Amino acid sequence: MKKLKVGLISFAHGHAYSYLASLAAMPEVEIVGIADESQSRVASIVERTGLPYYADYRELLATDADAIVICSENVHHARHAIAAAEARKHVLCEKPLGISVSEMERMIAAARDNGVQLMTAFPCRYLPAVTGAKAAIERGDIGDIVAVKGTNHGTNPGGWFTDRALSGGGALLDHTVHVMDLLNWMIGSEVKEVYGYAASRFGETKIDDAGLVHVKFAGGAFAVIDTSWSRPKSFPTWGDVTMEIIGTKGSISVDGFAQKNEVYSDLAGKGSWSYWGDDMDRLMIESFVGSLLEGRPVPITGEDGLRSAAVALAAYESAKLGQPVAL
Amino acid sequence: MRVAVLGCGGMGHVHAQSFAGMADAELVGVCDIDAELAGELASKTGTRAFCSFADMLEETDPQVISIALPSYLHKQAVLEAAEAGKHVICEKPVALSLEDTDEIIEACRRNGVRLFVGHVVRFFPEYEQVRRQIKEGRIGEPGVAHTKRVGGHPGIARGWFKDHAKSGGVIVDMMIHDIDFMRWIWGEVKSVYAMNACKDDSDYALVTLEFANGAAANLEAHWGDPGPFRYAAEISGSAGLIRLDSAASASLHVRTRAQAERDGRFAEIPQSPGVLSPYDRELAHFLACVRDGAVPLVTAEDAREALRIALAALESIQTGKVVLL
Repeated sequence: MKKLKVGLISFAHGHAYSYLASLAAMPEVEIVGIADESQSRVASIVERTGLPYYADYRELLATDADAIVICSENVHHARHAIAAAEARKHVLCEKPLGISVSEMERMIAAARDNGVQLMTAFPCRYLPAVTGAKAAIERGDIGDIVAVKGTNHGTNPGGWFTDRALSGGGALLDHTVHVMDLLNWMIGSEVKEVYGYAASRFGETKIDDAGLVHVKFAGGAFAVIDTSWSRPKSFPTWGDVTMEIIGTKGSISVDGFAQKNEVYSDLAGKGSWSYWGDDMDRLMIESFVGSLLEGRPVPITGEDGLRSAAVALAAYESAKLGQPVAL
Repeated sequence: MRVAVLGCGGMGHVHAQSFAGMADAELVGVCDIDAELAGELASKTGTRAFCSFADMLEETDPQVISIALPSYLHKQAVLEAAEAGKHVICEKPVALSLEDTDEIIEACRRNGVRLFVGHVVRFFPEYEQVRRQIKEGRIGEPGVAHTKRVGGHPGIARGWFKDHAKSGGVIVDMMIHDIDFMRWIWGEVKSVYAMNACKDDSDYALVTLEFANGAAANLEAHWGDPGPFRYAAEISGSAGLIRLDSAASASLHVRTRAQAERDGRFAEIPQSPGVLSPYDRELAHFLACVRDGAVPLVTAEDAREALRIALAALESIQTGKVVLL
């Protein structure tokens, strides 16, 4: 069996753990090592898996890895992805792809110039409810899309996420991009105008934790997304991905994590929702690996990552101006 | 208290039946230019039917007039009732412009009659509970809120709803409930940004309000939704959030074989019954305010402000800009 050799740069973003688990479960993948400037952050994983550890990501890039999964702090995505591309490694980069349009353009150019593929990690495309909605739209079940109300609520992730010097932005950047990517994918029209609200409302943190983004598409459809880290500690789950899609001939409701049991345990001290649906991270990793092994284009590109992050960046500009901005 | 109802459509039925069931109210008449509608409602509620408002005023001498006419007819009716010295209960929206609203408020003041506007959401127990728990500090400081109110297009049964000059459209007619609710819980609004798609049998709107306290809310309303009428809200704050959802709190589902045979499927009507309906509570409250002179839970000025915000949303849709209030 032809194997794909994959390395991981940084476990700063928690998704690295789930991506690693998905990779480890695939017989067609050989994990060649983990790079993280913080040895303590990955010590237990290195010990458990026995994988080679590199303090300097450039040493990992010097191996014969075919592909690199990047889960560093947002501000380091560009540096890591460009270095990986220049080392002729394919890249799967955690969202948001970058923190400025120019750096994301450089990431895309680096991949293109070095003949490697750049994929943005948007696992929500693999939620079964989302793929079902996409299929229904393509079948014409609801006619043309008129408007969408979406949410990607979350809990304040804390740590570097709330440090602008490492994250590049708060909830508006963190949580615009998932649903924005789904909108771009489903509507297939360019965003031409953005109105954003960003504020700090939910706790001690100074960075924006409350966000609303309105977009108008060139084709006439419009949408709003709530990006807030507004789920309290007492909430039964971490957050949500929902979309109410209004069409000319009907409507579609997506509640991405509705496949859940309700668990009430005195051990937890509160009720919780326990998701039992398909694992979107595993499906995304399988898609990334399969594309590379079979020499197909990755399904979610760097351009997709740029398109979504650019909306979040424009929303910050709009929030500052107090008026919508053109994109 | 002697009460007469003007307008015998959907809301007129609700008002008349509610008054007819009150021990301390006497429904003295119902009026509609459609004699058949008026007659039907009069026989249901055991009162007299009229086709002329003037005749009803003359013959029944009511103390209170409850106006459930199409919105574009509110002003004329309120002015007539006020001139006749009758207290007025008027369905929302109070009027379709601020000028008309001011004229209405002034006419009631000048004639020394009370004016109540039917922002009934304040009398729904689930919304009332949200307001109470927010005031108790249960979810901390205001954060981001959502409201939703969707259902079929009323214009399919009653054409005037589709004429925005007569109904104001989905924002002025229906979302205004949620605008009023949001002001009730979070206070004054400082800016409005709105999007709308209105075509054929669908009128869909998304409106973002930013409040003087810095919080924000996104309000969704749809006439032409293919599902049953429903409403929901989520209010998040610095220490928690509260959600309500009419679909989730439907406590009674009736499924009948007869319906299944007729419609080819087990159609069901979800219900959320209570001893008193929100309209019962609202109308009884207004009558109590007439009786004892108390300030109502929702004032004419509240109704005017909700309309001002709704009209700002229409301006935002026109200009594509944020409207500062």
